[in-house]
Amino acid sequence: MLPMIRVRLPQKKRELEVPGPRRVMDILAQAGVRPTTVIVTQGKKLLTKDHRVEDGETIDVISVVSGG
Amino acid sequence: MKCKRCRRAEAAVDLPSHHSAFCPDCFFVFFRRQVQEGIRKFRLLSPSDRVLVCVSGGKDSLVLWDVLMDLGYETEGLYIDLGIEGYSERSKEKVLSYAAARGKDPIVVELAKEGVPIPEAARCARMEECSVCGTVKRYFFNRVAAEGKFTVVATGHNLDDEAARLFGNLLHWHRDHLSRQHPFLPDAGEGLVRKVKPLWRVSEVETASYGFLKGIDYVTDECPMSEDATSLVYKEALSLIEEKMPGTRIVFYQGFLDPGNPLRTPPEPAARDSAAATADGEEGEEPGGPRACASCGAPTYAGICSFCRLKERVRKRREERGGRVAG
Repeated sequence: MLPMIRVRLPQKKRELEVPGPRRVMDILAQAGVRPTTVIVTQGKKLLTKDHRVEDGETIDVISVVSGG
Repeated sequence: MKCKRCRRAEAAVDLPSHHSAFCPDCFFVFFRRQVQEGIRKFRLLSPSDRVLVCVSGGKDSLVLWDVLMDLGYETEGLYIDLGIEGYSERSKEKVLSYAAARGKDPIVVELAKEGVPIPEAARCARMEECSVCGTVKRYFFNRVAAEGKFTVVATGHNLDDEAARLFGNLLHWHRDHLSRQHPFLPDAGEGLVRKVKPLWRVSEVETASYGFLKGIDYVTDECPMSEDATSLVYKEALSLIEEKMPGTRIVFYQGFLDPGNPLRTPPEPAARDSAAATADGEEGEEPGGPRACASCGAPTYAGICSFCRLKERVRKRREERGGRVAG
């Protein structure tokens, strides 16, 4: 099986795989996540929404919304 | 995408609301300037202030503490352990580890020891957890500030928090709440210190990006008590608008703060905010300025402060339960 992009959403305890290459903003749209509510990281790097992610790479989508 | 400031390094943070994108180093400069401008605009802090920074372990409060230290302010952290199983332990660990790395030793208040852990206090008082939490936090902000001779209390409320609060207040026409909504609530005397929100110009994405790039390890899971918070609904609505029309949130909130806005009245002293039992005002509120609570001596607008009344309700409920078990 071909490697895909691994997308982790740790706060939602959810993970998905999408075919690459793909821009961060397109990955977020596929995951149903509003871009103004998250930061997207790859290891110690912070990714801009137009960053292109390749197959075989892993990214984390971190929600920044706090309530209360 | 290249950084729009230095035009050399690769951008790490894109900010459509500012028509900009920054590399990490330039973003740090941008972020600190935003905070400095927020402080300057309403004279939130002066170099001689002793600042009590209320830290929860989340991104906003730790970032606030970090920036204020970097800007040279004299600060101490205050952590209130809410007594929420699991969540409180995790957040406390983040605060202590951050503080240790910066050579700080935060003041810690444990609500379980004070007799009012939030989940139990909310059950006993038959109140929303967030409402109880607000009452208790405000009480300790004032008490610790007075005891420690701090001149000002700073909290990590950001632009998204303030815009969502404003949106909610306007949707329900809570006109009386609008006068209490400001990044600067003046000192009301009687132990009610000034309260400020230096992050009012920066968004949640910006504080999270700053925290991440600075390597600040904050608690990312949300308080389990706030899952149904109405502020999340307002935030969701505003983020949809922000996505379609970047920059709307800051225009909305700054427009509200404009002195020429007819909806605005001058900020009321911190007293109202700090002593209020509920968002609607203090139960049993009496006319006149703040006075000492007959039970604990803390400043209040009523005879007995809301914290003491809450504590008493918890104590009575415990006694009733104990009586039933014993009987």
